[in-house]
Amino acid sequence: MSHLLEVEGLVKRYGDELVLDGIGFDMDARDVQVLVGPSGSGKSTMLRCVNRLTEFQGGEIRLDGTSVMAMDENDLRRQVGMVFQDFNLFAHLTAKQNVMLGPRRVLGKSKEAADALAMEELERVGLAAQADSYPAELSGGQQQRVGIARGLAMDPKLMLFDEPTSALDPELIGEVLSVMRELAEEGMTMLCVTHEMSFARQVATDIMFLEDGHIVEHGDPEKLFTNPDNERTEQFLRRLTEHGDGS
Amino acid sequence: MSTGRERRHARLERALLAVAGGAVWLWLAFRWVNSWFGGVVVGPTQPLVPESFVAAATGTGDALGAVANGVPVVAQAFDLLGWTVGMVGFASQYGPRLAVAAWLTVVLTVVAILIGLVIAVPLAAARVYGRVSKYVALVYIELVRGTPLVAQLFLLYYGAPFLSQFIRELPGVGQGIVPGQAVWIAIIGFIINSSAYQAEYIRGSVESVDAGQLTAARAVGLGQLEGIRYVVLPQALRYAIPSWTNELVYLIKYSSLATFITVPELFTRADAVGSSTFAYTKAYVLAGLFYLVLVVTASYAMSRVEDAVAIPGVGNANDRRG
Repeated sequence: MSHLLEVEGLVKRYGDELVLDGIGFDMDARDVQVLVGPSGSGKSTMLRCVNRLTEFQGGEIRLDGTSVMAMDENDLRRQVGMVFQDFNLFAHLTAKQNVMLGPRRVLGKSKEAADALAMEELERVGLAAQADSYPAELSGGQQQRVGIARGLAMDPKLMLFDEPTSALDPELIGEVLSVMRELAEEGMTMLCVTHEMSFARQVATDIMFLEDGHIVEHGDPEKLFTNPDNERTEQFLRRLTEHGDGS
Repeated sequence: MSTGRERRHARLERALLAVAGGAVWLWLAFRWVNSWFGGVVVGPTQPLVPESFVAAATGTGDALGAVANGVPVVAQAFDLLGWTVGMVGFASQYGPRLAVAAWLTVVLTVVAILIGLVIAVPLAAARVYGRVSKYVALVYIELVRGTPLVAQLFLLYYGAPFLSQFIRELPGVGQGIVPGQAVWIAIIGFIINSSAYQAEYIRGSVESVDAGQLTAARAVGLGQLEGIRYVVLPQALRYAIPSWTNELVYLIKYSSLATFITVPELFTRADAVGSSTFAYTKAYVLAGLFYLVLVVTASYAMSRVEDAVAIPGVGNANDRRG
């Protein structure tokens, strides 16, 4: 029985620099895998390898048993949603049109069907009332929720979250995390890079601690937070929790 | 915040501009339609005002110019006054001729800028995103921008006889309202020239669209070209409007270079009026007024377009810079 996502011996280099050095882990459907680690440890790069926004030089990533390298990249990305640190909303489109673009141009849905779907997804992230607002008219938290709705509208098997709250003012982080929490409860499979330790502790089914392209420690959230095997993990987590969540 | 007085002034200004602009354009449209139908209402080059008015203005101008001859300063003041009054007569007499020629200037400019735009967009995209095409676009753009427009027109007109011949032999060229081959060659030259400049303006605005948006489009499953088409270009073209307007304004005036390859556009006609009347200054001043009307209209229209397509919350280019 294969897992939903299998990562095996993943190696990524930028020139001579080794960014990911033999990363391996599995995820099953409904898992919430959280990646933590100091900046520059390769977390975001790892995420981008999964939907092939960046190339990797060694190892294997399989989605539903199929190597992502064997898949058409657009076909792969249709099945894997992604949420970005800087939201990356399409500035010239309303919130609803942002969500509609993928279903219309990638899934080939009619305008009416894409419209209805977009409203459904915006409802899901609590932004139905802002459907006709443009990104520049929305707060950061609202923009990020639109970003989540945009990913969800493709009905992905897996959602990637790349530090979704790192660019937000502290008072706006909560609304994004609560949407993510609801998604997890609904059974969405999520691979998240985040510094939000309370979210990780409450929602993650598994936490990986990455440093210098290696998985330093990997396991159950409770264990990692209370009794980590590795001294580096303990130091890192203590520093994060001492300084408050994510700041 | 603007005060009530400023707003009243702005309203008055707009109203005056609308009335003056409306009158000029109504007159231009009349002259064009009239000439297309071979002068159904009045002769194609015949003024709307009676000849006696032209004669009176010219005579009055001459008389005023002669006042106080020999008296320093006063004589010059009367010269200027006389010249201005004479100019009114000159303009009413030769305005119709230039108005008809202005049509060709408008056609040259509008066709060249629009077809140039169609070519410039893929060129700009190739410059930013292309691998091999990037260099093809670069060579084209630099070659065109690096050589004088007049030289390009000469090359097409004199240096490529097969082109002239090919166009001349196309059915209908030079017959009725279809312009002759020189006009077509001028249009081709302006298209090539303008496409290179427009490509550079658009390249700049393509680069100003945050790259993360294209990444996000790709992450949803759109291909590179689709991402450019649906996400980058709709924004880049909006941001390009101010510099594109600049190119339009330049092109209106640069179209006068077509005179060197015998195209009977506005400047050619003004030149002809000058040589037949020996009033070169008046002829060129009159031509200048026509260019001014075209340029002011073009930039006004484009600023309206810019406002109309501005992205809510982002504003137009000025706001972005601000």
